[in-house]
Amino acid sequence: MNNIMSIIFASDNESKLNELTLHRTTASLPVGGRYRFIDFTLSNLVNSQITTIGIMTKSNYSSLMDHIRMGRDWDLNRKNSGITVFPPYASNTSRSVSKGKIEAMYGILDYIEKASEDYVIVTNSNIAANIDFDDVYNKHLEKGADITMLTYFAKPTTSRRVIIESDDAGRVTGSRITQTASDKIEEIGLNIYLLKKSLLMDLVTNCYERGGVDFEKNIIQQKANELKIYTYRVQGHAAMIDDIKTYFEESMRLLDSKVRDDLFYAFGKIFTKVKDSVPTIYRENAKVKNSLIADGCDIDGVVENSILFRGVKVEKDAVITNSIVMENGHIYPNSSLNYIITDKNVTITEDKKIGGFETYPLVIVKNKTI
Amino acid sequence: MFTNKKECVAMLLAGGQGTRLYSLTRDLAKPAVSFGGKYRIIDFPLSNCINSNIDTIGVLTQYQPFNLNQYIGNGQPWDLDRLNGGVFVLPPYMKNKGSDWYKGTANAIYQNIQFVDKFDPEYVLILSGDHIYKMDYSKMLDYHKEKNADCTIAVINVSKEEASRFGIMNTNADNSVYEFEEKPKNPKSTNASMGIYIFTWEKLRKYLIEDEEDKTSSNDFGKNIIPNMLNDGQKLFAYKFEGYWKDVGTISSLWEANMDLLDSNSGINLDDNNWKIYARNTAEPPHYVGNNAQIVNSLVTEGCEIDGYIKNSVISSGVKVGKNVVIEDCNIMPNVVIEDGAVIKYTIVGPGARIGKNAQVGGVCDKSSLKIAVVGPDAVVAENQVVPMGEMID
Repeated sequence: MNNIMSIIFASDNESKLNELTLHRTTASLPVGGRYRFIDFTLSNLVNSQITTIGIMTKSNYSSLMDHIRMGRDWDLNRKNSGITVFPPYASNTSRSVSKGKIEAMYGILDYIEKASEDYVIVTNSNIAANIDFDDVYNKHLEKGADITMLTYFAKPTTSRRVIIESDDAGRVTGSRITQTASDKIEEIGLNIYLLKKSLLMDLVTNCYERGGVDFEKNIIQQKANELKIYTYRVQGHAAMIDDIKTYFEESMRLLDSKVRDDLFYAFGKIFTKVKDSVPTIYRENAKVKNSLIADGCDIDGVVENSILFRGVKVEKDAVITNSIVMENGHIYPNSSLNYIITDKNVTITEDKKIGGFETYPLVIVKNKTI
Repeated sequence: MFTNKKECVAMLLAGGQGTRLYSLTRDLAKPAVSFGGKYRIIDFPLSNCINSNIDTIGVLTQYQPFNLNQYIGNGQPWDLDRLNGGVFVLPPYMKNKGSDWYKGTANAIYQNIQFVDKFDPEYVLILSGDHIYKMDYSKMLDYHKEKNADCTIAVINVSKEEASRFGIMNTNADNSVYEFEEKPKNPKSTNASMGIYIFTWEKLRKYLIEDEEDKTSSNDFGKNIIPNMLNDGQKLFAYKFEGYWKDVGTISSLWEANMDLLDSNSGINLDDNNWKIYARNTAEPPHYVGNNAQIVNSLVTEGCEIDGYIKNSVISSGVKVGKNVVIEDCNIMPNVVIEDGAVIKYTIVGPGARIGKNAQVGGVCDKSSLKIAVVGPDAVVAENQVVPMGEMID
């Protein structure tokens, strides 16, 4: 389908990912052993032949640029269309880094207008899901919707969530924006929207000129009556990550084969930057159980209930349990990690026992040696 | 000024059928056979080329070329998608004087003289697509220039017993070649030809044309071109290569080369940031190791789901291994499914094959007289079926 373009927001205003996003956008946060979050969104778009993609950045976007390069790994290095990355301060009119999605899009109205597509998908990039946008588009047309917003069912967390009320036909009748955690499962917006490009441009222009900057508040909430906003419930597993606890929990769900099938295979494969790592070697003393292991690892120790990214070295008598070790981590003999997230290039020298808690996994920041 | 000129063009002979790999090459050219978990054999010469700064490569295909063509594509995985140069797949083609299959290795190059001429190279590097090794061809090219040679032949030192299976280069003290013997009964030296040649293009071009005119010739580098150049007193030099090199043209040698990846003393180390081997990527998630799994001294690749016991084996991408499975001393190629309770030893399992529940395939054999069982591509071994050691299942 080539009549849809997409705008991706690489950063999330409300993110509480703290140490993990000190040096990177939410979009480039490593996930699932070999991916960055934006891989899900980019792959879903490409798998539905959506290839005109603008990525809006706010800050710290060099890791994102390094990941995406020319978009070749997603087959997006095209003569026509392909990826355009908008650095902050992209527009002449704004004097500061854009405050919200509306202001950011107001700054690139030219780009949106020039694209040949008639429809646009506006999406955040802290989402793990395998989405068939062909189906989203067909349902959008069938229902005669002005805006289709993608939703999933989950418990609200302390991060900002848009909770949807809808009628039997799926039309949004109301919504509230909350940051209060609850045990009740609700229909929650994934911050992915499909609408006509011309409508988006009108909404953005009108809203911005009246001082509105918040897409959810100023459009989804305030215009629910005058616009036909329909929900599209994402099939299979979906997750939105905006704090360290949900990052950890959602990562660990990948140890469930049903969740992996949903996320990695349902409608199309998830592509990422190719690094040409070798297969993982298991040595004489390796004992690995219930874990997800990327290529390029070298394992001679114990790994349980954990996720190892590419190029992790686990030496003899090192023990990793309930932990996430990102790229090129090196765990020396007689050290142990339990409920730990180590960012890229972390080295744990000999005889260090480090533990966090299930409810509070500890993050060891990028490039640290302990 | 922009020109197409390249100092050195590589020509990779990838047309052989590889009959000694039996069903593994039934639908596939030998260079496209899977190796080492995530590679194909051809990844080695292609990666060596790009790592040696040779960016113009003609790949000569003939037998079952479709998979190989698709795999090579535009050459992007090897950084060979170039504005000028890059990788070119060269099947035999129609000419106004009729068309012909590639009759021999030399004839394959002869039929592509026009292709090489387009780049106006000083030198041509001839490679074959059935060897596993890491080699810096630029050093060999320096040697060729330094010796002012017409032809330089890479040689590797083999044992006296092995020497009679190879083409042997007998050399003078300065490494110039005075005699070439194909599979000699009583070898005079142990310098085995690796099938890697650098020719000064002007010379090779002349010999190819002459060789083509000789209707009795078998149009082969080893049998015709090299002996003819020697007879005419051209300057041929042997370039001694030290390092891991293995011809993987037989079931046993293919199995052995895979096992060498597990042995840190074998000399082949793929985890080398200064000499990466590139491969086309399959976009699989990391592999999952289940609660019942135990993996020792083995390689496991992305996309696998492992819940059994694996020892001394190479497991390629997308392989599913069920509960209570035992895999020892095996090379399992991509996307194989091994159901619960199957026991597989000393076996190569071809891509896409399925091994049924509690089946028994292969058996422990002596490393000096290997009897490797082979389950062909997409073959099915039924539940409880027994496949004895050394057997082949299609």
